[in-house]
Formats: sequence, structure tokens, C-alpha cells
Amino acid sequence: MLITTLLLGCSNKQQAQNKTYRIAVITMMQGGEFWGALKNGARSARSATGSVLEFLAPVNESDYEGQISAVQRAIDQQFDAIVLSPSHYTRLEDVVAKARSKGIKVVFADTSLMNVHPDFFITADYQAIGKAMAEHAFSHFAEGEPIKALVLGSMPNTSSMTAIVEALAANFAKKEGAEIVYATYSFTDEAIAKDITTSALASDPSINLIFALEEYTAHGVANALKENQQVHFIAFGTTQYEIQLLERGVIDALVVVNSFNLGYRAVMAAIDLLNGIKPIEKLVDFDLVTKESMFSEEHQRLLFQTLR
Amino acid sequence: MKSIRGPHSIKTILSIAIAVVSISFTLLVSAILFTQFSSTIRENATVSTREIVRQVNANLNYYTNDILTIAGYARDLAKQTNDLPRFEIEQRLRSIVDSRQDIVCLVLFNLEGEAVLSTSDAKLRSAKEIKDQTWFTRALGGEGNFYFTGPHVQQLFTSSYPWVITYSQQISYLNEGGETKYGLLAIDMNFWAVSELCQNARLGSTGYVYFIDNNGKIVYHPYQQLINSDLFNEDLDAVQEHIFGTFTNTFEGRERLVIVDTVNNARWRIVGVAYMDELMSGLDQYTTVMFLVLAFCIIITILLSRTVSAYISRPIRELERLMNSVERGDFSAPPTVGGNQEVAALSQTFALMVGRIRQLMDDIVESQEMKRKFELDALQAKINPHFLYNTLDSVVWMAEQNNTEGVITMITSLAKLFRISISKGRDIITLSEELEHVRNYLIIQQIRYRDKFEFSISMEAGMENLPTIKLIVQPIVENAIYHGIKYLQEMGHIDIKVFKRKPGAVVIEVRDNGVGMDEQKLSNILSYEGPHHKGGAGIGVRNVHQRIQLYYGSDYGLEISSELDEGTLVRLVIPEQAPIHPIKVASS
Repeated sequence: MLITTLLLGCSNKQQAQNKTYRIAVITMMQGGEFWGALKNGARSARSATGSVLEFLAPVNESDYEGQISAVQRAIDQQFDAIVLSPSHYTRLEDVVAKARSKGIKVVFADTSLMNVHPDFFITADYQAIGKAMAEHAFSHFAEGEPIKALVLGSMPNTSSMTAIVEALAANFAKKEGAEIVYATYSFTDEAIAKDITTSALASDPSINLIFALEEYTAHGVANALKENQQVHFIAFGTTQYEIQLLERGVIDALVVVNSFNLGYRAVMAAIDLLNGIKPIEKLVDFDLVTKESMFSEEHQRLLFQTLR
Repeated sequence: MKSIRGPHSIKTILSIAIAVVSISFTLLVSAILFTQFSSTIRENATVSTREIVRQVNANLNYYTNDILTIAGYARDLAKQTNDLPRFEIEQRLRSIVDSRQDIVCLVLFNLEGEAVLSTSDAKLRSAKEIKDQTWFTRALGGEGNFYFTGPHVQQLFTSSYPWVITYSQQISYLNEGGETKYGLLAIDMNFWAVSELCQNARLGSTGYVYFIDNNGKIVYHPYQQLINSDLFNEDLDAVQEHIFGTFTNTFEGRERLVIVDTVNNARWRIVGVAYMDELMSGLDQYTTVMFLVLAFCIIITILLSRTVSAYISRPIRELERLMNSVERGDFSAPPTVGGNQEVAALSQTFALMVGRIRQLMDDIVESQEMKRKFELDALQAKINPHFLYNTLDSVVWMAEQNNTEGVITMITSLAKLFRISISKGRDIITLSEELEHVRNYLIIQQIRYRDKFEFSISMEAGMENLPTIKLIVQPIVENAIYHGIKYLQEMGHIDIKVFKRKPGAVVIEVRDNGVGMDEQKLSNILSYEGPHHKGGAGIGVRNVHQRIQLYYGSDYGLEISSELDEGTLVRLVIPEQAPIHPIKVASS
């Protein structure tokens, strides 16, 4: 009997050492290549650490209310940590503050909030991305050629969109003859993006550059452009459709943020925080992929990470 | 506790000895078991890990052989274009490809990059795009050359981007014109089919299998994404050093078991990595259990050693306690101790010894008492004849004077004196009897010394029947007469008072107004060492003192104070005891 007690004591101790943490991963929406890769990264971290993940997300990125209730659910179910990509930079503040007050570790992946700070924040350098996009766009134009750009973001109230748009604006301001004619948001709706593009091009045919800052938005823009190669088009995303458009020359460059990396590191950071270790501060890498570089070994892995 | 230095108790020595021997033995056995067990676990882990890696390699080998067989079949068909129409050949190949989910397509290109045979209807990329791809260029250069690419995105068809591994081989075929031409056969295999072979291999809980090519470059790695993002490092240098075989090394703080094997057909090497801590996790549990059991054993050993040593040493301690009590002079406790044989024997011997000592001591006491009694008796016997002679001389003298009354008084007193002296052989008499004895003595002496002194005897009421040892006052009175009163010119006084003194003492006070004693004489009078003058004062007094002390203990005895030319005061102090009956003296 004593031996049994000892054995039980041991196994309890072992369990305590490898505590299984429950982590809620709350993305902006359920679908999408970007979020799919993020979730794959999170799963990879789960395999490496033996934690338990639950993915919660509204169907649509614009549904921040759905995201708020997802966070609330994570609080109610007493998760140890929450990995969150806030889809609205003020509306989620209350619920995030509440989660933190309950002792739940909160890690922001990709986007952040205006006033409420998380325990840790992992993101790409969206200022640098904006700058790289602008510079790549300018490279398609001859010196002095007028550049008239349309910027289409997905969600107006997210930190990443705001940062890219600001960076684009700043770089356009520095470039002579370059201007952003129109900047608006599609709310991650392909149809809205298509309509905006079509009407923008109709009302101002001189628009010769479009930035689509999200994959569904990019699809909408592409649908509006059809095979129109007069307009330079730089888009976010790694969908098969976008890759085909890149190969066909409709899209000039794809901006790829390594969201696999984002998901992996966010979950790892959450586990580090739970173990009382300070996570490594490092920006998530991104790259600009063109038709010429798309099959390079490095870009293959970035572009086709979730394809088979 | 006792100090650390110095002799230790048997119990401590025994406890420590038993504990040290048992614990050392336990530790030794545990250490041997542990070493044995851990080396066995390690060996088993190594063997099983190597087996898993070998299995993965065998599966892969089996798979690539399969592909080679299909390629061979395709090669044969390519030479039969004269006998079979193109669509028939394609149909046959397609049925093979369709039957296997892992093969994406099989295409035969001519050296210009145009498709000759294809199992897919999808639109191919331009010949130029195809010709420039690695798998195409690497396989060129001689018939039979074949090449396996690493995983890559297929670039054969437009708008389709599956991850594949390409097998390519330069073969000869017959073209539609019947000419033998060189062509390039490509078989694209689904990457996931190959990667599944590796992913299913579980080496510990987070171990993995990866492939490198002959340049040491990673062909496939399950953590490729993490490696690209610098989140994971692979120890390629160590694998380059160890071309083949099994080794362990420490990489990024974790001990890894690395197994390297060559892959047939492809110029790859398979590398299995398992983390030693995971493989040895069974050992951790075993270690914990062993430590607990060990701790338990040690505690039991210590308790047991204490109990055993206490059992052995208890009789010895008991014996020691008995010896101590004997040392203090207590011979009453029977020194018998149970326990083990040796101690029991020792105890018996000790008991015999103590018994003997007790007997010897009793003998000594008895002989001393006898000796004293004889001495006293002798003293008494010495005095009495002298006194009797003088008394009888006085009686004769009075008879000659016809002093009948005097004779009667004298003889009566003498008779009473002797009656009390004899007192039926008893040592204890009442105070009144003792005083009666003295009174008779004084009456006789008063007659003899012709009224040279007066005397008074008084006693507090109620003390008459209190006991005393007999004949203690007479020697004091005798001393007072012979050494005090006798030398006086004036009338002597002897006053005897008996009273109680708190607590519980009876005092018989004899006061005379004789010549007294100087201090020297006074201090000698009660001590044994004092000089004994022949016929000098003190022998009788000292005897009384000794008798009282012998009988009643050292709290009692004589108190003497004296001053020259003033007189002497002697107090006999005896304990107050319960009254006794006087001896029946036949009334005259």
C-alpha cells in the first residue's frame, strides 16, 4: 500500500512538472490563408510543448462583437492564456482588461489595442511593410511618372491596417508625383472590394496603382481588374488565386507575412509567460514575392505553406 | 545529549554500526541496480530508436523502389510506340498513376522540354520553363541517370501548385517517326505521402526524422518553417562529421541521440533525432520511486537499528543503574537483570558479589556492635565492684556505729540501684526508673561523702513513662562527684532536671557547682582522639555519649558546657518516644 502511495505521489509530481496549459487562440476570423497559417504555427507549438489549444473566432473579420464574446468564453472557461488578434483596437479593451484581471495571460498576435496592453505582443513591422510596398510600387514607374494609388484595407480599426496605411501615406508624401487618391476598407468582403475598385477606376481612370491589404480584398480587386495589366497591383496574401494572379502578372507583388511564425511564437510566448520566463522579443518576418522570385526555395516555403 | 567526543554508549555505537552497514549495503545495491537499469534503458532506447529510423528508411526504400519499378515500366512502354498507339500507352500509365494517390503525374519530355507522353490533361507550362528546372537539368547527361529532388512546388502545369518530390531519369524512346530519341521521364510524387512516412515515426515524444542531401543541405525537415524563421536550429555540423551510424551529443542544452543512415536510390541521408531526456523519461519515474523506497529503507533501518541496539543495551544500562545504586551504598535492590545471555551472567555474578559484600558488611556491623557491647559491659563491670566495695565499706562502718537507719537506707538504696541496673536484662527503661536509679546512687554517695553535697531531681509532669536507654545519667553524676564536687571546700550541689525540648527531644540536665573544666579538657572530653588519663574524667561520659549516638543516631548525645570554678552543665539529649510500661519492681 505504501509503495502504491509512493507511486501515486510520483506520478502526481510528474504531472505537476509538465503542466498542460490550456490556451485559447482567437483569430479575427475562422477562414483565410493568413489565419490558417497562423493556426498551423500554433499547432506546431502545441506539438512541441504538449499544451492544449482551442481555436475561437467569429466567421467574419468585421464581427468584433463575435470576437469579444469569444474572449469572454475563454475567460468563462478559465483558459490559462489567450492568444488574440484584436479586430478592433478599442472595442476589445474592456474584455481584454477583464481577462488580464482574472490572471489570464494575454498575448496579442499581429494586432494590438490602443490603451490596454497585453502581457506580450508579437507582430510584424507593419511600418516597414508599408515602406517596402511603397518602394516596390514606385519601382514599376519611371522617374517623374505620376502615380495615383488606391489603397484598400480590410478593417478600419485594427492596428496593423492603420500602421500600413500610415506608412504608405508617409512614403507617398515623400515621393514626387505620387499620391494616394483614395483609401478605404472592404471589411474583408470580396464583393465590396470589387465594387469599390470598379467605381474608383470608373470615376478616376488615372488610377494606376492599387494596394490590397488583405487576401479577400485582393480577390475583390482582382475580380474588378480582370486581366487589366495597366494598373499595378500589390496585395497581401498567399491564396492559390493570388499566386495564379501573380504568375499571370495581374498582381505585381505579394506581401507575405509569416503568420505561421506569428502563431507559433504567440503560443510559445504564452507558455513562456505561464512558466514565468520572459519571451524573446523579435519581429515576425515578412517578404515581398514577385513572379520572378516566387519559386525560389525560400519563397516557395513562404508562399505555399498551406498548399498541397 | 552527550558531547561528541569521549566514549559513546553501546547503544549509539550499535545503532551507528548497524545503520552504517545496512545503509551502505542498500546504497550499494541501489547504485548497482540504478546503473544497470539506466544503461539497459539507454541501450533499449538507442536500439528502438535506431529500429524506428531503420524502419522509416526501409519504408522509403520500398517506396522509391516502387517508383523505380513504375519508371522501368514506363521506360519499356516508351520503346513500344511502334506497337501501341500513344493514347494506349498513356492509358496504361494513367491507370497506374490513378491507382496510386501518392503519384501526381508521370510525364515524358523530349530534351526540348515538350511533353511526349503525359498522364495529365492539364495545360503544361512552356517548354522553356520546364527545361530550366533543376530536376530536368540534373538528370541529363546519360541514359539511366536518375535523380530525386527534394520537396518543391510543382511547376509543370499552370495554376497548380502541389508540393511534390520529383523523380527524373533520362531514357531513350521511340518517337512517332520510329527514331530512338533521348527523353526525360519525370514522376511527381505527392510530398505529403513521403512526409507522412517520416511524421509517423515517433522518436520519444518530440523526436523527429529529417533528410539531408549529399551536400549536407536539408532536403526535408518537419520543422522547416521554424528553421526558416530562425526559431529552430538543426545541428547539421555534427551530422556532417558523423557520416553514418549512431551518436549522442548535446545541442542547445539537450542531449540528443542522433541516428544517421544512408537512403538507397536517392543520394540522401536520413537522420533520426531523439531527445535523451524523453527516451529516459521512464528512468526519471524509476529514479523517483527508487529514491522514495531508498529513503523509506533508510528510515526503517535507522529505526530498526535503534530498536535492536536498545534491546541489546537496555540490560546493560539496567545493570549500570544497579551498580550506581550499589555505589551510593544501597545494597537493598536485588541486582538481577534479564536480557541476553552475557549480561544475565554478568548480572548474576554481580548479584553474588553484592550479596557477599552485604554479608561482609553485616558481619562487620555485628562484630563492631559486639565489640562495643563488650567494652561497655567491661566498663560497667569495672566500676561496679569498686563502687560496691566502697558502699559495703560504708555499710560496715555504719553498722559499727550502730547506725541502723543509715545501714537500712544504704542497703535499700543499693538494692534498688541494682534492681534497676539489672532491669530484667532490658536496655530501655522509663525516665522515672532512670531517675530513681540516679537518686539511689546519689543517696549512697551522699552518705559516703557525709553530706558533702546536696542534690535535687525534678521532672516535668507526664514524662515519667517516656523511654530512655538505661544507666546514662549515673556516669555523668559520678563524674560530677569525683571530678567536680569532691574537690570543693563548700557544699556541692547537683541538680537534675528533665524536660522536653522542641522538636521531639527529651533533655536530662545535670548541673553541678564543682570545679569545672578548662576549654582543653572540655573539647577532649567527647572526642575519641583525646588523651586518656588514667582514672581521668571522661571515659564514662564519653561512653554515655557513644551509647546514645549508637542507639539514637548522631542527632542526639551530650551537650557539655563548663567553666572553671563555676561548675559544669551536662545535657543528655535523647529523642522523645512513645511511653512504655515501667518494669514491675516488687514493692518492698
